[in-house]
Amino acid sequence: MLNTLLTLAERKYISFGEALNISITGIVVVMLVLAFLAVLVLLLSKSIRAVEGAAKKKSSAKAVSANAEEKTSAPSKPAGTALPESASAGDLNLYNVDEKTAAVIMAIVSNESGIPLNRLLFKSIKAIENKG
Amino acid sequence: MSVVNALVEIFQKSGFMSLSWQNWVMILVSFGLLYLAIVKKFEPLLLLPIAFGMLLVNIYPDIMADPLMMSSYEGTVDPNAHWYDAGVLRLIYAGVKSSIFPCLIFLAVGAMTDFGPLLANPVSLLLGAAAQLGIYVAFLIAIATKFLTFIPNFEPFDALEAAAIAIIGGADGPTAIWLTSKLAPQLLGPIAVAAYSYMALIPLIQPPIMKLLTTKKEREIKMDQLRTVSKAEKIIFPIVVTVLCVLILPSVAPLLGMLMLGNLFRESGVTDRLSDTAQNALCNIVTILLGVTVGATAEGKTFLDFKTIAIIIIGLLAFAFSTAGGVLFAKLLNVITKGKINPLIGSAGVSAVPMAARVSQVEGRKYNPSNFLLMHAMGPNVAGVIGSAVAAGFLLMTFGN
Repeated sequence: MLNTLLTLAERKYISFGEALNISITGIVVVMLVLAFLAVLVLLLSKSIRAVEGAAKKKSSAKAVSANAEEKTSAPSKPAGTALPESASAGDLNLYNVDEKTAAVIMAIVSNESGIPLNRLLFKSIKAIENKG
Repeated sequence: MSVVNALVEIFQKSGFMSLSWQNWVMILVSFGLLYLAIVKKFEPLLLLPIAFGMLLVNIYPDIMADPLMMSSYEGTVDPNAHWYDAGVLRLIYAGVKSSIFPCLIFLAVGAMTDFGPLLANPVSLLLGAAAQLGIYVAFLIAIATKFLTFIPNFEPFDALEAAAIAIIGGADGPTAIWLTSKLAPQLLGPIAVAAYSYMALIPLIQPPIMKLLTTKKEREIKMDQLRTVSKAEKIIFPIVVTVLCVLILPSVAPLLGMLMLGNLFRESGVTDRLSDTAQNALCNIVTILLGVTVGATAEGKTFLDFKTIAIIIIGLLAFAFSTAGGVLFAKLLNVITKGKINPLIGSAGVSAVPMAARVSQVEGRKYNPSNFLLMHAMGPNVAGVIGSAVAAGFLLMTFGN
């Protein structure tokens, strides 16, 4: 196919049909290369995250066992697993705000700041009354 | 010699007497572009140097004088001339002609680009590919100019010229200059001016097409937050892309290689000084030199002809079809993912970074003020840079010697 195109290109003027052939091949080549890249990125990301996840688990397990050795009588926080990005942790006090509105506010803050919810800690959300 | 005679002589040697009507038209065009850059703030960093280069060359054409015919296509060689007798902008223009400036701009773009949104959502790559549609439509239109032979003195575009014109649809100035200087250097001026001017005018060109091809409901779609991408992914990505793309299409090595080198400077975390220089000082210096000299190729006498007008029209159509390609493919993905993709991000697949992504964000917020499409649009936007480089590589492989 490409050889045919190369022979076509040696001529100064080409027919419309030949141009159509080159155009279709061109868009297919771009699509295929980028689709291949997308699959590769997907596989790469998955394997890197798997390796990183395993390394994290290992290091956190080490840290937990080290903490356990150092522990005296003081109670410690539960180690637990990492929260999903869409979840948040901690106690949140709501003042004149319903839970649905609070959830929306937290989502907006997370979206605006680009920080996942699991890395944000909200302490309280308070409705400010308009006195004017 | 009387004072009057001296004044008459000065007047006769002045630009008022030597300029042609084409120069005056181009001076007016440059005023229009300066207005758009300064008052309307349409990509002033690009448009202002281009417009000023255009103004300079039309007031004083010898600023691009080329006695050795180093990069001119009309005129005669002066055997007694030296390289330093060339106009000062002609000498700087060697950086464009040799593809040094486009490659350095790609290095800077790489250093400024965060591929995180693309890595978080690899489907973006397909949008970046779909938005190259305009390149191939423009190629067909340029070839079809052979049906316009009824226009007096109009010579249709040959295959190499058509391929060079087509790349305007990639909405990527450096890629357009790089490919044109290899396939049809005689058209470098009009193609570069068209590519950069349309890139600057993206906020005007894209929104009507985006609106035409999408429904209000689609424009209001809110997309899920992107996942966080790890540092390791960001470091490995430029290396993998370079190896893969250059092996498949070796001709993309100068552009893509520099883009990914710049990105590796940024992401590696061990070359902060190089990354900073590429993003700021180097980028600014090359932008000034590239902009002014590209503008200076628009000298009225050689610039204003049917071919230039045809290139300007085909370039606009190429931009429109690229935008449409991206939006339509995003619509398809929206159907496949059951409403999870806002089709407005498809238009960002044209590679004008970050203008096209900004347009998606602005348009998205018009219809849903709580919508933040910028990061989602950055994925297709940077994918478009890779897509247009691959498309240029394909055209060079097909038509290059």
